[in-house]
Amino acid sequence: MAVKRVSKSLRALSKSAALIPLYSSYASADAPPAFTELGLRFTKYKEAKIDSEKVIYGSTDRYDIDVTQANLITPIGRNWSFTLDVQHDAMSGASPWFVGTNAYSQPGVIMSGASISDNRTEVAATTRYYFDNGNSGIKLSRSEEDDYASKSITIDSSFNSSDNLRTYSVALSRSNDEIKPTQGKVPTGFKFGRKNTESVWLAISQIINRTIITKFGLSYTQRRGQLSDPYKLLDMRPNARNSSTVNVSYRQYFNSKNASLRLDYRYYSDTWDIRAQTLTAEWYQNFKFAAVVPYLRYYSQTEAQFFNTIAETEQAYFSDDYRLSSFGAITTGIRTEYDFKKWKFELQAERYKTDPAWSISKGKDSPAIVDFWRLSLGMRYRF
Amino acid sequence: MIHHLKVILVGSIFLTGCSSVAPWDRGILSREEMAWDLNKHETSLQGHMYSSKEAASGGVGPAGGGCGCN
Repeated sequence: MAVKRVSKSLRALSKSAALIPLYSSYASADAPPAFTELGLRFTKYKEAKIDSEKVIYGSTDRYDIDVTQANLITPIGRNWSFTLDVQHDAMSGASPWFVGTNAYSQPGVIMSGASISDNRTEVAATTRYYFDNGNSGIKLSRSEEDDYASKSITIDSSFNSSDNLRTYSVALSRSNDEIKPTQGKVPTGFKFGRKNTESVWLAISQIINRTIITKFGLSYTQRRGQLSDPYKLLDMRPNARNSSTVNVSYRQYFNSKNASLRLDYRYYSDTWDIRAQTLTAEWYQNFKFAAVVPYLRYYSQTEAQFFNTIAETEQAYFSDDYRLSSFGAITTGIRTEYDFKKWKFELQAERYKTDPAWSISKGKDSPAIVDFWRLSLGMRYRF
Repeated sequence: MIHHLKVILVGSIFLTGCSSVAPWDRGILSREEMAWDLNKHETSLQGHMYSSKEAASGGVGPAGGGCGCN
């Protein structure tokens, strides 16, 4: 009889202990969340002024963006959850129009004339069903700007192995975008365009021991349609782009320090001949009612095959967009979290700095690469 | 492609060599800081910020919708 009771208790314990966060984004268990959570976050994002020596004409100011994010996640019945995410961006500033040659025969940037202002609102709704050894979700989202609209659908599923040590995840997504560039004093590259994106993502997460968990992921994305930037004078890109990524993630908890090491690596390649590597390291240090998380991110990319510092317009495809140039970037940041009863408060500061010399490839660079900083303040309430 | 294969190989090593961990011994793994995605707001914001400044994007989870920033 006693053996039977222990066995029943063990079964119950096993079941509850198996409900652990194996999934990437949405679920932390094979059961809906046990609470409703409301979140609100404000971010001030500011790009650094471009060096005046690199500007031939126009303002040295770049973009400022105020971001407001709100979300709600709530359980519905015993097997469902619902999530609503809303984001609003208020943008203003100037951006590079093209790269020319200055009086000293050096590349220089011609900026867009007047300050541009735009608003973007994105709404996404996700429903998720939880079953014995996994969960499945469907997400619908819509993003609207003055000159851009996007709607997307994502379907994903995760399944645990029979011993609950391994989780297999798969996601499929599709988005349909429409671009209607705002017509001003500066002519745009085109007046209307469509872009379709389809993506598949696969991942396996594995418990290594009681303090280490790893994840390995692959993704493939294809984009079709108008992929050129209408606000750049010298930008003619192929209308197809296929990309793939390989990811490795690692989490380890250190009992003696009451802290966790979080590592993520991504290798990216695409049919425009761009190769990029990203390594992120975070140290999550716990305190009694708070946590401090310093982090470092390194990014390096090669240039696109049709990129040139000054666009070669005699070619079929050409671009001087700094985002397609060879450069490296280092992000340094710190996030603090503070728990107070049912509230969680967070404050985060980050600096992003770029340099062509930091690229592993040392290829063709651009005078228009950008640095930025941002500050975020957020709060979450659970009930 | 060769680099892809190298990362896949390293990833495969990451997924092997695991020992059996009893369900009641997984308390540490359920801690918030061990989750793949700590903060949905942060993940979403980073996705937008970096994909509007860099050529590479995606790969960290299910893809979302597009925006005019890139």
